[in-house]
Amino acid sequence: MVRRIERSVQELYRDDPERADALAFGRRGALKGAALAAMGGAVGAAIPFGGSMPQGTLPALFSRPAAAQSGGPALLDLPGKGPLILQGERPLNAETPETLLDEPVTSARNMFIRNNGGVPDAAADPRAWKLVVEGEVNQRLELTVGELEARFPVITRQLQLECGGNGRAFYQPQARGNQWGNGAISNGEWTGVRLRDVLNAAGLKSSAVATGHYGADPHLSNEPGRPAIARGMRIAKAMEEDTLLAFRLNGAAIPQLHGAPLRLVTPGWPGSLSQKWLTRIWVRDKPHDGPGMGGTSYRVPVRPIVPGSSNNGRDFADLESMPVRAILSSHAHGARLPAGTRALDLRGAAWAGDLTVRAVHVSVDFGASWTAMQVADPANRHAWQRWTGRVALPSDGYYEVWYRATDSEGRMQPHAPPNWNPQGYGGNPISRAAILVG
Amino acid sequence: MRLAVLGLALLLASPVLIRPAAAQPASQADAARAMAERAEEESVLAEGEGRSETFGYCTACHNTALIRRSRFSRAQWDGLMDWMTERHGMNPLEGEFRDLIVDYLARHYGPSQSRARNPFLN
Ligand code: HEC
Repeated sequence: MVRRIERSVQELYRDDPERADALAFGRRGALKGAALAAMGGAVGAAIPFGGSMPQGTLPALFSRPAAAQSGGPALLDLPGKGPLILQGERPLNAETPETLLDEPVTSARNMFIRNNGGVPDAAADPRAWKLVVEGEVNQRLELTVGELEARFPVITRQLQLECGGNGRAFYQPQARGNQWGNGAISNGEWTGVRLRDVLNAAGLKSSAVATGHYGADPHLSNEPGRPAIARGMRIAKAMEEDTLLAFRLNGAAIPQLHGAPLRLVTPGWPGSLSQKWLTRIWVRDKPHDGPGMGGTSYRVPVRPIVPGSSNNGRDFADLESMPVRAILSSHAHGARLPAGTRALDLRGAAWAGDLTVRAVHVSVDFGASWTAMQVADPANRHAWQRWTGRVALPSDGYYEVWYRATDSEGRMQPHAPPNWNPQGYGGNPISRAAILVG
Repeated sequence: MRLAVLGLALLLASPVLIRPAAAQPASQADAARAMAERAEEESVLAEGEGRSETFGYCTACHNTALIRRSRFSRAQWDGLMDWMTERHGMNPLEGEFRDLIVDYLARHYGPSQSRARNPFLN
């Protein structure tokens, strides 16, 4: 029933946005009188904090990315995978709904999927899979997965792995690429060897400044020899202690879709630096220039540009450490709770690339007041942090849970997605989940 | 802010539902391939002049999900054609054929907040 009225508001907005806005919000901004009643009618409930709703703000019920609407989007149906939100079949991309990220350690089942090309066939003998390390090194290395595991210290870490385009759907005008909400994030427990141990074994020349990564996935065109993607990072990140050549996820073999039998895990930086089906690391004497580097790919403006304008990205900078973000995993956007519910026990996770999260705050009155949540320490550096807390509700009705994290340098998630760019990187606005009580 | 939410509201007004078929191949790679190879009908794209050409030319590498989710201006669609050629090896689109396809895309997959006026752009 709520759905039907919601449609009609959308139709009104489509046909005559000025009138719809005036009807829903009144002319002076804050919701009141007939306008408040109209919006209450639209969401099928009273809006207890309507008075503090900012001008022109559509209830989160209508304004969340389509992919986050429960019941709306197509869901993934693949062996070993949960009901992720399908972004596309070719290439195969799927987002994890925030409520499936309620596990402190993300299961392989619930890990989001990002592919730039096709999914290669599983290796007949995973232990014999070969990695080549070459370029600005004293000694070219060719190592099998078996040799990597036997020769170097094996370590296990919980590590954030997040698509560089996570949050892209929040941008307006629309930015190019998969329309991810907040769910292109995972915190799996990865086992492998440190990339730096392998690079040290090869011996870095003084000319080594960056890496370039290659995998076995075919380009979408199936053109032989054309990499689907081949990105690289500055050498300092490659030499960090949490940057791994991983061969196990959560104690088991890596699933084929997630890069078996060997992948990079470069935590806190765009997921495209965590090359799947890894075959080769090319140590470079200049920043890497493979497909996925340069232009507007994985790059953000240094000097802000006009939203919607075209730009060749020449003056942009590579996106490196990912920005601070929180997810809410205890309550689905659009959840309906029994009448009389007067408090919400909330849970979620938050992370901030190479930094940590200092605070998570929640508001149920459209940002007029904020309640601090308890934020746990990360299991190790580069793991996400879980948060919990309680907020009170004064009555039945329509609420929005606004949730926002602050990083260890004091930067908060902004109210609107910042620094618009053509391919939509760095979109980390405060998130809003609609809850109906009664 | 207001324009942003308006745009998203309009996106919601066009739900797209494609359920994957219930095939259960043994391996993830096989299952992913089966999904990728599942044929699409031209009619998943909006009806209009240029649809057949667009469907034929644009589904060689990826399926139409990438097109259907997009809301771009004509200039953005036009730029994307060059990006696909330069970065991904698409055969260059030129002349009338290019106009036909770009016009089709801009007409049917244009910006969702068409009433908004950007003071810096128009
Ligand atoms: C030669 C292969 C090829 C052809 C032909 C092709 N594309 Fe693409 N296209 C790509 C690749 C590769 C991507 C990137 C996919 C990814 O990373 O998920 C892409 C991405 C896109 C995107 C998403 C933009 C983005 O930044 O991710 C759109 C929209 C798109 N293509 C539309 C089209 C249209 C319209 C046509 C027909 C004129 C077309 N494509 C033909 C290879 C191709």
